[in-house]
Amino acid sequence: MKVLALIFGLSIIVSGANYSVIVSKKLSLSTVSAQEIRDIYLQKRHTIGNQQIIPINLVGQDEVRSEFEAVVLGMDRNRLNMYWVKQHFQGNTPPITQSSFESIKVFVQNVEGSMGYIPSKMVDSSVKVIYEF
Amino acid sequence: MIRRVGGLITLAFALHAQPYTLGQGLYINPMLNVGGYFSSEFQSKKSEETLTFDDVAVMAYGDINPMISYLAEFEAVGFYRKNLSTGEESGNQKFHSERFYADLWLADTYNFRFGKMITPIGYWNTEPINVLRDTSSNPLYSMLLFPKFLTGIDMNGYFPGCNNTKYHLFAQNNHDLDEEYTNIPNTHFYGFSAEKEVSSDLSSGGSFGEYLTLTNQRTRFVQANAKYDDIRWQVLAEMMFAKNEFANNDQATTFSGYVQGMYRYSQEHALVGRYEYYNDQHTNYVDNIAVVGYSYRPLNPISLKGEYQWHSLKDENTLLFSLSVLF
Repeated sequence: MKVLALIFGLSIIVSGANYSVIVSKKLSLSTVSAQEIRDIYLQKRHTIGNQQIIPINLVGQDEVRSEFEAVVLGMDRNRLNMYWVKQHFQGNTPPITQSSFESIKVFVQNVEGSMGYIPSKMVDSSVKVIYEF
Repeated sequence: MIRRVGGLITLAFALHAQPYTLGQGLYINPMLNVGGYFSSEFQSKKSEETLTFDDVAVMAYGDINPMISYLAEFEAVGFYRKNLSTGEESGNQKFHSERFYADLWLADTYNFRFGKMITPIGYWNTEPINVLRDTSSNPLYSMLLFPKFLTGIDMNGYFPGCNNTKYHLFAQNNHDLDEEYTNIPNTHFYGFSAEKEVSSDLSSGGSFGEYLTLTNQRTRFVQANAKYDDIRWQVLAEMMFAKNEFANNDQATTFSGYVQGMYRYSQEHALVGRYEYYNDQHTNYVDNIAVVGYSYRPLNPISLKGEYQWHSLKDENTLLFSLSVLF
């Protein structure tokens, strides 16, 4: 197990990914595409495969959140705000938020089906990485 | 009705615990989000000048449980109107049921919506309120060719195994929930629409359907739409061809479409241009309309717009300004 964790850590260093999208290790998901994550965070879809997913975002204007939105969702803050204004009229709300990476990780550990993003250096065997950026 | 709506808003403010973001509603709990919108408009034509508080609306929505959600919206159209040319004042403060539906979520591939809803056709009709649009006016395409609302059932979702293509299969076999408040009162309305998201910037789709009006006019239509939308440019195009059969067995066709382009030269400012064509064989009404407009959004849910319309029917040229807010 330790060897696997070491290999995983080295792979992150080699790939240069700073952040990881994580889910509960109980889920059968292995990897997902950026498009699937985008659809989940924009509340266009609620499942990946047969698994219902609850997206978790970082609260506020954090730089990492902006990077996630730009790189994975492909939208800057202004465009995303306009998207949620339009979605409000359709009766949809943005994903729920957590105040820190620690609380995102705890949420993902405890709520099956939840998805969040944390710095790759915080990843351990209690969660499963399905995408990196 | 106003008292009841006021009570709802008061209750919402008393209960709320989450920070409020303008334009994204007031989150009370997962079962209750409240919001609303209004728009006011100044219109100058050759014949008259008018000032209106056109739409005043309140809405509430939420999730009853992970599978069932609802939305209710009540709106007063033409809330207050003053003819600045004659000084005459009028208005209608009666709130109508604009949307009132429940969603049953079963899977991303099939869900059901029951009740009164916006007809899921194209782009303009699904984002019909002033604050979400980039011009004050609506193209005739969106107002005269098909019922804007549906009181019935809509099965919708993503096509299984077909990446990013969404569909709606909808049917109405009764009168509208609020017949006073619909553009084409009807008793039967069936249709199918689909839209493919080609990329995050580009999508296209189409629909077909049939409706029977209260005056026994049977209309069958086909429609197509496409949208390109990046950080600077947006291009929208929609068109519809309809074949009408009237109670006296007369037949006629209607064709209408528009192309609208918008250039955002900053987050707040944009230039808009639109060309539309409308041809109703039955009434012999043919119009070419060009619109040039300016859109200013100090914040996303606040829209200030100005436009000038040229009509091929000379007396219809119009200057329009509007202010609208979603809250």
